[in-house]
Amino acid sequence: MTPNRHGSAVIEFPSDLEIVITREFDAPIALVFDVFTKPEHVRKTFAPFGEEVTVCSIDLRVGGSYHIVMVTDDGTECSFRGTYLEIEPPTRTVQTWLFDGWPDAEAVESMELHETDGVTKLTHRLAFRDKAGRDHMTQFDGLEANFDNVEDYLGSLLEPQGTVSG
Amino acid sequence: MPISEYVGIVARSSTTSDVFNAIAEAHRREILDALMAGEKAVGAIVDDLSMSQPQVSKHLRVLSEVGLVSCRAEGRRRLYRLEPARLQPLHEWLAKYKQAWNDRLDRVDDYLKELQQKESSSDT
Repeated sequence: MTPNRHGSAVIEFPSDLEIVITREFDAPIALVFDVFTKPEHVRKTFAPFGEEVTVCSIDLRVGGSYHIVMVTDDGTECSFRGTYLEIEPPTRTVQTWLFDGWPDAEAVESMELHETDGVTKLTHRLAFRDKAGRDHMTQFDGLEANFDNVEDYLGSLLEPQGTVSG
Repeated sequence: MPISEYVGIVARSSTTSDVFNAIAEAHRREILDALMAGEKAVGAIVDDLSMSQPQVSKHLRVLSEVGLVSCRAEGRRRLYRLEPARLQPLHEWLAKYKQAWNDRLDRVDDYLKELQQKESSSDT
């Protein structure tokens, strides 16, 4: 794997039901948009650990749907599907997101791209809207969820006496 | 990777979402921070943080319910201590989630480089 000069993805939790991932790529925005929205590209990059993608259909228009299936090492099919809500090439798409492994949790996924001096920044947001999660969240008053650097925070709590490396 | 792990990565399990909720509140994180130095009575936590005693007690109750703090009586005082092991599942979930995303985005990064190289070599 070629090292990325922009480092690894940054994960933030702006609210209890949202997960935001950002990462930069050395490529023009139009190309990055294509890689995330055209089946011939998505097929090659979708699976995180290189699993086989067996279905990849993308109807890139508002109201159009996508369906991606990959097969894991133990032969199980993982199916992801949804409908496009907003499309603004080459900067933004918003779509519903359903994973068959967790059918109760429909989410809204958005992808935003921003190019500066040939570097394109991806902001990927997954906002769960499952009622169970929301009800759970609102049972405590005064929720001020902000999980910036949550990983560092967890690390510091788990190893209170430990020295922090890096 | 087996399907069970995907489910675990894609969505945090209900057992960790309680802990997730408990630490989603800034005051509760302050209380956990205050307990990092060691066991404390409610009064000492009130002194450390600019919170009222009922407020601290309310947050300690939430933290106790998810097991992030435990409590023991010493005479008439109740002493609270941090139970960081309860955060381990959340920490593990986050690490796996991050790993899965990074691996996918690394592939995108490599693939973008490949596409650009092809493009520039076909131009010349």
